[in-house]
Amino acid sequence: MSTVAAPPRPGTESDGDARHRLGEAVRRVPAAAWPLVVFAVLFLIGGIVRPNLLTLEALWSTAAFAMIVAIASSGQTLAVIQGGIDLSVPNTITLSALTFLSAVDSLGAFGAFVAAIAAGAVVGLVNGTIIAKLSLSPIVTTIAMNGFLFGVVLLTFDFSQLTDIPKFASDITSAKIGFLGTEVAAVVPVGLALLLALQALLSWTGWGRALFLVGAAPDVARLAGQPVDRIRITAYMLSGALAAFAGIVIVGFYAQTSTGMGAPYLLGSVAAVVVGGASIFGGRGSMIGTLGGALVLGQVATLVAVANLGVNIQQLIYGVIILFVVALYGRRAAA
Amino acid sequence: MTSPTSTLPGAPAGASHPAPAPAEAGGAAPGSRGDAAPVLVAENLTKSYGTVHAVRDVSLACLGGEVHALVGENGAGKSTVAKMLAGAVVPDTGAVRVGGQALSSGSVRTARRHGVQCAFQELALVPDWTVAENLCLPDGSSLRRFARGRETRDAERVLAALDLEHIDPRRPVHEMPLADRQQVEIARAVSGDVKVLILDEASSALTPPGVEWLFARIRELTARGAAVVYVSHRLGEIREIADRGTVLRDGAVVSDFQRGSWTDDELISSMAGRTAARAFPAPPELRTSDAPAALEVEGLSGEAVHDVALTVAPGEILGVGGLQGHGQAELLRSLWGAEPATARTWKVAGRAIRRLDPVRAVHAGIGFVPEDRKREGLALELGVGENLLAPWVKPHQRGGAPRLKREKGWIDEVLGGLSVRTRGAKERSGALSGGNQQKLVFGRWVGRDRKLVLLHDPTRGIDVRAKQELYDAIVALAREGVGVVWFSTEVEELVHVCHRVVVLYRGAVADELQGERLTADAVVGAAVGRKVAA
Amino acid sequence: MSAPAIPLGARFRRSPGLVGLKREGAIAPVLAFVLFFVIYVAINPELLTRFQLQTAANLVAPLALVALAQLLIVLVGGIDISVAAVMSLTNVVFATQLESASPVVAGVLAVAVGMGCGLFNGLLSAYGRLPVIAVTLASSFIFGALATEVLDRPGGAVSEGVTLATSGELAPYVPVALVWVLVAAALLWLLLQKTSLGRHIYGAGSNAEGMRAAGLNARAAQLTAFVLAGGLVALGAILLAGSTATGDPKSGDPYLLNAIAAVALAGASFTGGKGSVVGTICAAAILGLVGNVLFFAGVDSYWQYVVGSVIIVAVVGIPVIVRRLGVRLKGASA
Repeated sequence: MSTVAAPPRPGTESDGDARHRLGEAVRRVPAAAWPLVVFAVLFLIGGIVRPNLLTLEALWSTAAFAMIVAIASSGQTLAVIQGGIDLSVPNTITLSALTFLSAVDSLGAFGAFVAAIAAGAVVGLVNGTIIAKLSLSPIVTTIAMNGFLFGVVLLTFDFSQLTDIPKFASDITSAKIGFLGTEVAAVVPVGLALLLALQALLSWTGWGRALFLVGAAPDVARLAGQPVDRIRITAYMLSGALAAFAGIVIVGFYAQTSTGMGAPYLLGSVAAVVVGGASIFGGRGSMIGTLGGALVLGQVATLVAVANLGVNIQQLIYGVIILFVVALYGRRAAA
Repeated sequence: MTSPTSTLPGAPAGASHPAPAPAEAGGAAPGSRGDAAPVLVAENLTKSYGTVHAVRDVSLACLGGEVHALVGENGAGKSTVAKMLAGAVVPDTGAVRVGGQALSSGSVRTARRHGVQCAFQELALVPDWTVAENLCLPDGSSLRRFARGRETRDAERVLAALDLEHIDPRRPVHEMPLADRQQVEIARAVSGDVKVLILDEASSALTPPGVEWLFARIRELTARGAAVVYVSHRLGEIREIADRGTVLRDGAVVSDFQRGSWTDDELISSMAGRTAARAFPAPPELRTSDAPAALEVEGLSGEAVHDVALTVAPGEILGVGGLQGHGQAELLRSLWGAEPATARTWKVAGRAIRRLDPVRAVHAGIGFVPEDRKREGLALELGVGENLLAPWVKPHQRGGAPRLKREKGWIDEVLGGLSVRTRGAKERSGALSGGNQQKLVFGRWVGRDRKLVLLHDPTRGIDVRAKQELYDAIVALAREGVGVVWFSTEVEELVHVCHRVVVLYRGAVADELQGERLTADAVVGAAVGRKVAA
Repeated sequence: MSAPAIPLGARFRRSPGLVGLKREGAIAPVLAFVLFFVIYVAINPELLTRFQLQTAANLVAPLALVALAQLLIVLVGGIDISVAAVMSLTNVVFATQLESASPVVAGVLAVAVGMGCGLFNGLLSAYGRLPVIAVTLASSFIFGALATEVLDRPGGAVSEGVTLATSGELAPYVPVALVWVLVAAALLWLLLQKTSLGRHIYGAGSNAEGMRAAGLNARAAQLTAFVLAGGLVALGAILLAGSTATGDPKSGDPYLLNAIAAVALAGASFTGGKGSVVGTICAAAILGLVGNVLFFAGVDSYWQYVVGSVIIVAVVGIPVIVRRLGVRLKGASA
């Protein structure tokens, strides 16, 4: 046996170390913060173009719209993290809004609120059970559920009679609250509290961590003794309940109903989640990121509106932003 | 693997071969065979992934009619070198020449056209295609009608010529056992025009008769003047088949060797960069106690397991041997509740098991290291700490950062105790080397009050140093009174580190070996259904 | 291989066609279609009249074509969210081009635009290595915006001649739309089953890595699938424009979820490599005609959404339950 060459030892160059440290520092910024940074940049750009966009009022008006999208996408975030998707969000929103309005007379505002959320949770329970126990694909299951709910909505509710929006719904959404001399819609603090609570649930509870484990590697979770089915089902239940809450928020804020009221949130919710840095394959994502994603999309809408470019350009920019974010985060492992 | 003793240090080398005459010990350098110009030449191959130098300045010359082995620990770069030779990976610098002609790099297609054929451990087969389709590889750029009948007949002929009549060319590949799939992959490589054959751990799933079959094919090819590059972990196979070889460490060539000029210890220390005698730790002495058996099961039956009875005392290491695919995987998965099974009696640490699934198994004090660490063992995207805690985060408890902080003591203890080389509990598990990843899967069950731990070939495909550390960890676990059931494909591990070994054959216990009778020959004999007289 | 002693039933069960359908998961949807058809004719024997056949064909044809497009993407292992937007875009391109160009030129242009959309998605997915679902989510915003840019409200100039050529009758009892669908389906079937390219499309969804390691070009197969899918969607959009006699920038929207549902109902695997043309046509026919059956049965047509969803879950879910029970019974008897 003849020694041919002594191998040089790797990793002694100092500039390599410095670059490594910088990379490490950038990597340590939580992924969820990036969409917020982008939002801040867009907000400043808006201010440069139009100084009156650099005010708290302008921030609050964008934030109110973005918060509604974020609430509607919060359930989607959970579904995506655990490795699925919830395409029944649109009609869960409609179902919940109409359930709320039609139950207000008999159950009172709070009772109707609970009934609507419960309806959403039941929708999620059925989704989750079919997905976890029958191993049907989440896309197929939730599409079927979305169609099912559409039929239920059309068959059950009489739209002409559901025009009164109870005060409770507007109190938690469109009512103005004084803040630092400005007025902010109630939905902003309500939504922020909800998203922070959900973020805490994801970051600091065993359920939240197990959700990431299930999303990143379901087989690993199962073989490590995690109750994967139960975690999946509870995630879809929570997703349904959150979509239901979004339904009440939407009806309270916009004060109108229609069969198609949930439709914009089909792709809109997925878009906010993706722009928020979640992996469409599961195992990565956050509520703060989704809020950031919704804010970015909302600020783009504001800028496009101010520049008078029209909805088409706005949609086009949405598409480009999604592509950009996916190109940044979503690369599949190198072949 | 045919004769397990040949893996022992000091066994007579290259004694039983019809293959080309071995070069004299310590003998001549490549080229001394005079007339033979190298068929395959690699010059100064270098490849980096990000900041990691996978391969640095590797040059090789493979002569026609010879088998050239590439050896090294996991992560030494041998697989990357093999893939660059095969055209599957584009080198950053350097070139590959076949018969003096430079290959345009990075195209398996061009390489194949130049007679460079390859077979990989992670099979390059399309699971939903039939064997025939996988063998003939239809050309996708054409709308030409593709003739199923002719293809099947061609495949039948190829399979028959290669002694593979047991494989049905009409069957989709995913319906076949792993060993058969690997033979199809090899068959595709050897049936074409072969100037150079590259085998990258291509024998990993083969049974000993399968390895013999592979060696027969290799000898046919070398007799015709082809060069073979053979990448393997199994020193026994290298001893038997390789004419010369190259040792890689940290992506660079550290030494060359020739047939008969080396011992296992030399090769291992060259691979590891230190003198490492392969020393198996002895199993701890069994203490007699009143404690109930860690595992007591009788009449265990399931899909691929028939009427198995096992008893494991606390602190005992029970080895499970046999050829792959004889029910060992199913046995372990059944004992973990991951596969349906029934039993007449079934007790873990004295407590009867009625229904079992992995959730209940964790509760019952069982631990499990699954077969495929990347797919079943670790969530590669998650951190080291989160992976260690995978069985221990419960929905109603704290998790995440607070949990990591609270469990820091335990995590550090496990990482330290198993010498896991990592930057810390938050490092991405996917960034660790294979051996260290395997330690994480194992480490979950350390210091967690387990009664019984089930191991599915935990040392497969990891480097020598990590193997050694895992042996020590397994023995340490047993010393604490944990019963261990350990399925291994390496006979030497079973013989040296286990108290007792049961050998499975067709899903049933063929033999139970212990004390004097526990020898490598007996294990291998029982594995092929032959009982050695006591 | 076949010995004369094999009974007829067994020989039938082993016939290549049936084995193929079974491997592709199409048995359940084909049976469901037969059952559905029998119920339909029992409730409404009038289906077999010229007029009703024609309306039924016009209802099913666009969905069938879009579902076939979705099937191609599912075969290579993805899901195309942008089919609705591509359909809207090609629909309005066709309708507006008719204002100035001949129907053939407008049709060719629409198909070319569809294929261009497929090329965009395919390049980013196959060669940019981005997840299909995310790429097509993004492109559905982009193509949707382009569609409204071309035509912001229903309109265009769909002439009567065009309507007859896409949704009239070729011969008595032979609706043109059905012919278009069957020609497209037959060509697609031949491509997938009888050519090497077809094997590559199945293979790319089954194990693209493996194909690449074996020296085959999986990416090219993926890209081809995307381009073909774009063309099929455009064809569906043309038929829709013909039967509704307008171009509409939102016309594709209902087809997104329905096309995915049809592919699911066809028994395709959403992880790729498995799915059948025949099953997809059957599934599209079922989903497209549920509303009609309910109408003729005198049921509120809103029930079609409920019934459609239940059919999907039942046809996809029941085989799973049967298999589970089978395993459990076998386990218990062992």
